[in-house]
Amino acid sequence: MSRARANIAGAIGFTTVMVVLPLIVRGRYFIGVFTLGLIYGIWAASWDFMSGLTGRENFGHALFIGAGAYTAAFLNTVWMANPWWSLPAAACVAVAFSLVVGIPTLRLSGPYFALATLAAAAILQRLALIFWERTGGEDGLQGIAPLLGSPLGLYYLCLFSLVAIVAILLAISASPWGLILRAIGADELACRASGHNTTLYKVVAFAIGAAPAGLGGALYAHHQLQAGPQLLSVFVSVSVITMAYVGGIGSVYGAAIGAILLTFLTELLRGAGEWRLLVYSAVLVLVVFFRPHGLVAPLWHALSGVGE
Amino acid sequence: MNEILIYGAVISSVYALLAVGFTLVFGVARTLNLAHGSFYALGAYGTFLMTTSLRLPLTVAATLAVLIVAALGVVMERVLIRPLRGTGLAVPMVTLAVALVIEQALFLGFGSEYRNVPSFIAASVGVGGVDVSGQRLFTVAVSWSVLSCLWVFVHRTRQGSAILALSQDREAAQYVGIPVDRVYALVMGISAALAATAGVLTAPFLTVQPGMGLMPMIKAFSIVIVGGLGSVRGSIVAALLLGYAETLIAYKVSTSWTELVSLAAVFTTLVLRPAGLFGIRTR
Repeated sequence: MSRARANIAGAIGFTTVMVVLPLIVRGRYFIGVFTLGLIYGIWAASWDFMSGLTGRENFGHALFIGAGAYTAAFLNTVWMANPWWSLPAAACVAVAFSLVVGIPTLRLSGPYFALATLAAAAILQRLALIFWERTGGEDGLQGIAPLLGSPLGLYYLCLFSLVAIVAILLAISASPWGLILRAIGADELACRASGHNTTLYKVVAFAIGAAPAGLGGALYAHHQLQAGPQLLSVFVSVSVITMAYVGGIGSVYGAAIGAILLTFLTELLRGAGEWRLLVYSAVLVLVVFFRPHGLVAPLWHALSGVGE
Repeated sequence: MNEILIYGAVISSVYALLAVGFTLVFGVARTLNLAHGSFYALGAYGTFLMTTSLRLPLTVAATLAVLIVAALGVVMERVLIRPLRGTGLAVPMVTLAVALVIEQALFLGFGSEYRNVPSFIAASVGVGGVDVSGQRLFTVAVSWSVLSCLWVFVHRTRQGSAILALSQDREAAQYVGIPVDRVYALVMGISAALAATAGVLTAPFLTVQPGMGLMPMIKAFSIVIVGGLGSVRGSIVAALLLGYAETLIAYKVSTSWTELVSLAAVFTTLVLRPAGLFGIRTR
């Protein structure tokens, strides 16, 4: 079996498993957990597209997620718009933020971009707390309308969004455009020397990655029926990177699967009570140390290449 | 007015301690250590543990805490960072994971409530018509003496010359026989000790709880960017600038705006002068 065929088979197999999963493991609670896993998958895949391909680590992905969630919340509770407007609006707001942050910082190399994105998300979080009369402060905005009546419907909407987003991002990364992004990740100077405006490519890739993150934030807001400042926190940015890392950076699909696996792991560790986060972070140390290139994508690469 | 001068000096000296350690590790070893804030927290909790459970005198407990954290820094460099150096995102990721482990361990060991750590000097002193706790003045004095010692160490000793050489050109330093790995471990130990010292000094008057390391680390980031990555002099100037700016805002506007100062400063610096005040321009 050739690798391309194996990839298609893998994608179909994965989608089938995810379609059937909530029909086997029943119950409102589990469907909620699965939906959360899919939303995290969108966050991680959108992070991986820009940061994984170009190697410019974004430590403030929460900026786009939080901006998307707050956009949904404002549209829904203050301006009383139809919940479906949230998704495109959230994506547009996230893209606007990505341009504001990306244009000044992406022309620099080194850790500046990582630190600036970290700072940008922190600024937005502080602003959300300072203007608490409008944003609801620590509690955030409550009472957002659900997108769909049934939890299972929302699950399938999230699954569809995740598959569509991963497919689009993979298509872009396989195109000549994506090749230039990878070239920037490998050697930016050489890429510039061959006549490409690397800053432009990075800024556009950043905006492309921001749109699904904003959409994912809006989905999250309509899933949890609230949007709070904790969505803008460093912890969100860090967990997104963790998920992409475990999945295998630069693979996009790996990031999405890594997010789903880690969500399940967190659920399984619920029995460990207050030790949960300690076990989780210790597992993370071990994964980073022994598998510095991640788990999912390298494993799949090895498996799908067996027949060759 | 005097209040701003004095409290600004206190906060700047703490920021300088944190930022100098952070920039040293980055400038010399090119390591982005995201566990820097955890060293700060461990310094505070180490003192707390040793003064309450082991009933050690405060000076002994504080010294031990700083030494233990420095050793931890060296061990972390040897065991976790060294094998991963050169694999891109792995080093920041592993330090980040260590930071999470430390925070959770502190949470499990001590709970989430605020802890009280005894002061070195309990009395308060009147300076220029302002009542300042002795501990705050002590913080200023110790911070600047520690930083002066560091300056002498880096600029006047053989080990210090090795550190400077490595920060300028790693390969050239290797060719003249500088033991690169050993110097990296040394720098990591110094950096951890500086962060722990900041934790020990501020624990009596700032909050001590498991998540206490995050905000100081973001501050250290900001200062390092404003001052110029890898520049010790820049970090000190930026620490003074930001420390006073924050105190000024806290007194004239509101304390909830203070955290925005450093973040806004980062952004302005990156847009106007990306290399920072004293950084070398590299693109």
